[in-house]
Amino acid sequence: MVESKQQWKAWVYLSPALILLLVFTVWPIFNTVRMSLLNGYRGLAAAGGQTFEFGFQNFVKVVQYRQFKDCLVTTLLLCVITVPVSSFLALLIAVCLNSIKPLRRLLQTIFFLPYVTNTIAIGMVFAAMFNIVGNIAGGDPNSTASSIATFGIVNNVIQLFGGKPINWINAGSTYWHNMFVVIFYIVWNALPFKILILLGGLQSVNKQYYEAAKVDGTSRTRVFFRITVPLLSPMIAYVVITGFIGGFKEYSSVVGILGEDMAATGSETPLNTMVGFIYDALENNNQGRASAAALILFGIILLVTLLNLYVSKKKVHY
Amino acid sequence: MFKKKSLLVILFVLIALLCVGCGGKKKAKSNFIVPEGGYDGSEVTINFYHTMGSNLSDVLDAYIIEFNKLYPNIHVISSKIGGYNDVRDQITTEITEGNQPNLAYCYPDHVALYNLAGAVATLDDLIASTEKDASGILGLTQEQIDDFIPGYYAEGTSFGDGLMYTMPFSKSTEVLYYNKTFFDANGLTPPTTWDEMEALCARIKEIDPKSIPLGYDSSANWFITMCEQYMANGEKTNYTSATGEHYLFDTDINRSFVKRFKTWYEKGYVTTQTIYGAYTSGLFVNTKQGEGELRSYMSIGSSAGATHQRPTKVDGAYPFEVGIATIPQVNPSSPKVISQGPSVCIFKKNNPQEVVASWLLVKFLTTSVEFQAEFSVASGYVPVIKSVMNNEYFAQTLANADGGDYVSALSTKICMQQADAYFVSPAFVGSSTARDQVGGILDKALVSTDSDVDAAIARMFKDAIDECEYNS
Amino acid sequence: MADINTMHQKDMAKVTSKQKFVTVLVQVLLYFFLIMVAITVIFPFYWMINSSLKTLDEYRWSVPTLWPTTVMWSNYATAFSTASLGKLFVNTLYVGIISTILSLVITVLTAFAFARLEFKGKNALFAGLLATMMIPGELFTITNYGTVTSLGWLNTFTVLIVPFLVSVFYIYLLRQNFLQIPNELYLAAKVDGTSDIKYLWKIMIPLALPTLISITILKMMGAWNSYIWPRLVTRGETHSLITNGLRNAFTESTGDVNIPVQMAAVALVSLPLFLVFLFLRKYIMKGVSRSGIKG
Repeated sequence: MVESKQQWKAWVYLSPALILLLVFTVWPIFNTVRMSLLNGYRGLAAAGGQTFEFGFQNFVKVVQYRQFKDCLVTTLLLCVITVPVSSFLALLIAVCLNSIKPLRRLLQTIFFLPYVTNTIAIGMVFAAMFNIVGNIAGGDPNSTASSIATFGIVNNVIQLFGGKPINWINAGSTYWHNMFVVIFYIVWNALPFKILILLGGLQSVNKQYYEAAKVDGTSRTRVFFRITVPLLSPMIAYVVITGFIGGFKEYSSVVGILGEDMAATGSETPLNTMVGFIYDALENNNQGRASAAALILFGIILLVTLLNLYVSKKKVHY
Repeated sequence: MFKKKSLLVILFVLIALLCVGCGGKKKAKSNFIVPEGGYDGSEVTINFYHTMGSNLSDVLDAYIIEFNKLYPNIHVISSKIGGYNDVRDQITTEITEGNQPNLAYCYPDHVALYNLAGAVATLDDLIASTEKDASGILGLTQEQIDDFIPGYYAEGTSFGDGLMYTMPFSKSTEVLYYNKTFFDANGLTPPTTWDEMEALCARIKEIDPKSIPLGYDSSANWFITMCEQYMANGEKTNYTSATGEHYLFDTDINRSFVKRFKTWYEKGYVTTQTIYGAYTSGLFVNTKQGEGELRSYMSIGSSAGATHQRPTKVDGAYPFEVGIATIPQVNPSSPKVISQGPSVCIFKKNNPQEVVASWLLVKFLTTSVEFQAEFSVASGYVPVIKSVMNNEYFAQTLANADGGDYVSALSTKICMQQADAYFVSPAFVGSSTARDQVGGILDKALVSTDSDVDAAIARMFKDAIDECEYNS
Repeated sequence: MADINTMHQKDMAKVTSKQKFVTVLVQVLLYFFLIMVAITVIFPFYWMINSSLKTLDEYRWSVPTLWPTTVMWSNYATAFSTASLGKLFVNTLYVGIISTILSLVITVLTAFAFARLEFKGKNALFAGLLATMMIPGELFTITNYGTVTSLGWLNTFTVLIVPFLVSVFYIYLLRQNFLQIPNELYLAAKVDGTSDIKYLWKIMIPLALPTLISITILKMMGAWNSYIWPRLVTRGETHSLITNGLRNAFTESTGDVNIPVQMAAVALVSLPLFLVFLFLRKYIMKGVSRSGIKG
């Protein structure tokens, strides 16, 4: 009897959340599916009284689009690179922070700052830092035919150390240079949350393990890989899984760096992502295609998350 | 086949233009019919979406008070939504729920989008109406229609069906800013053709090898303007069409001018805003000397941005005088310059009185010499009616025009001189994609390092057409 | 074994000095690394302040200056007055506070049900909720706009508050936190005849306070940063939120944005967030990191 009473009670507690979710989350999802299955659905045309046939044309159009594959590849690359890099870097920083005393609080606060910022605004600042102002002949800023007004602060630093300036994001720059800047920015942006979680985890790790390792004279690297990493594995798993989900939805960081075209000037290989693709379709009032693309993206994220969960179930030590 | 089709299209557009040009005769197709008696004096509220900063909305508000002296029951709520794209996004969402505003700032491609839902009221019947009204008649008199600068007025009918959807509000175009002090010192004159421009760039490069003689702000404008200039010269090329096959810009002429400008870029003659990585006006106004200091001596940009093309004062004086000229042409005897800046469109409403009231406001603002004059001086945009020239305040301002403190007036003056040369590109769903794509072609071609130039350019055109077709 | 011990003893002095050296070296490297990262993190913020103090002309110079030649403090005054930040600030605070309170109530109830109560389909429901986090949010906007319009909510504070009361992320966060509180406490309370609500209020909430505080802060930050939705559903100053003011007020007559003034406004608007963060740092960090403790 307690059972059924609990059941009843649970649904009462859940009801406010569920009602709101039904209206503002579940219904939109259904509507998305509906729009994706109406051939060539456009909200404005529908408002004007046009009707649409049922079918899979939106999905076909999206998959056949010449840039679809590129969007998918870019998105995947961003995920596969930024998630491990930012997770590892965050771990490193967290461990370092955990082993110093003076300045720790100050540094910790500084590292958290990017968490409270607007992605696009700071993205513009990043772009300014990598920007080269001038005519870059053949995409090579070192060519004698180039006339450069100013190298951004990043190239100034490279020159300071005797290196040659690099065309990061300007006209004639390569896909991988663009990619580097975007990755740099995404990692910068992702660090605070990860550091915070990993540091929290480190601080709750029982000190005895480390004492024991010290007595045994185990090397630092060994301690790191044999004790720290396994003990932190639940936090690492969490950081990686949420990182992947966020990575697949990457959009505003690319826009912040490369502008709304999501490509360097004159580049024939844009860095458009899946969400960028969805926004483009929405911009053209093509809700049918946007919905289809969103569902495809959802499918991919779901698949990857399940995979992640499966792997972490096997590897994570509790 | 291709040729026939495009000829037909041109013919059709010409006929449509002529129809409107000869007085906007009542058309059966008009989707809004003026109710019997015109505006009945009832209480209506009108929502007006725009992008004006506070300096401009103050001018607007002052004239809304004037408007209310004539029509005390029409209440106008004007809201600044953000930029032009914000206005578009806002309205497209609102249309799906039927709560769009009455009146909005628009660009032609926005209207093409709203037309998917058939949400914009055509103005033909309103313009032609002879119903009695507080201001005389409800419609426009022939005099009033003739007063509009024809190129601006024609924008309202650029939607392929010959009907009038928008009224010009305040406009701008592209002008050539040049460093008059430098030009005078070296005995140079501003170029009138692109051939002269090429020679001039070569000359400037000799005088100052480190300079980039010309900065062109918008690569999309450049491409589209070139198409129009070649067409005006009777050559076999095109840009887009509002009807039939939309994307007609993959032509020999277009590929060849892209290739030509690529050589200019490679010789260091020219740069664009996107390629340069900063506003080209910054290059133009730079007067600092020293290592790594770049400058240009010419800059093609919006006539409304004249104050940005003026150098900052040093010790109370401008380091150089700005000269303004019309942009170079393919054929100076049939010139073409792009027409930009906002128009306004009126949305359909269940209550026809709201539409009529909106029209009255539009008519009041676009035909009021005082408003057009004051708004133009405050904004740097060009008025849309010619009689503004007779306005004392406006004439006074233009008389002061110079290459320093009154540089905006100078640019307005130059714009008014080329009133007959304005063109508007056809508007349809996807016309903004076409615009983005052709700008992209020019940028890509200029910086491309592909050894087979022709193949690369051909590929860029093909990709752009593909992209346009996917998005339409 | 004995051999090693004697050797050990002999080298003891040497080893400790060497060890000391290594420890110091490691510490120096650690600080070097951390300070380099800290500089990288801070630089964009410096750049923002730098830009916010420039004139529009100087901002457009092709060679950017590291510090403005003429410092324009007036940009801040301009930003504050043209965007009527005062009124928008009050609006944002109001929306933030109301939606935080309601959101906390709903989140606590839901998380409690998921953490402590048994009911059919619990796991499936929870997984379903988590899955909704993976859908790009923009698609919700279109449909939700239709919903609130037919509810007649446009231009009210309701429309800014209600659609975002439930956050699956917060529910997840709090549930993880609740799960860490030993079930025995709950069972004991049951035996004592304590009601659920009383138990929640007396035991669960105090224990989960850090998480609740960080939810509060995240929620306030959300109100602070929300942009697209308020722009869509409100008109004019009466109901607009602070970010809308940021974007709208600084367009020059030519359609150009006066970026320095905008940057000044961004800095002004970010300031309260930074202050809140500085004062409540401990709670935010604790709260956010707790969510990770049991993946």
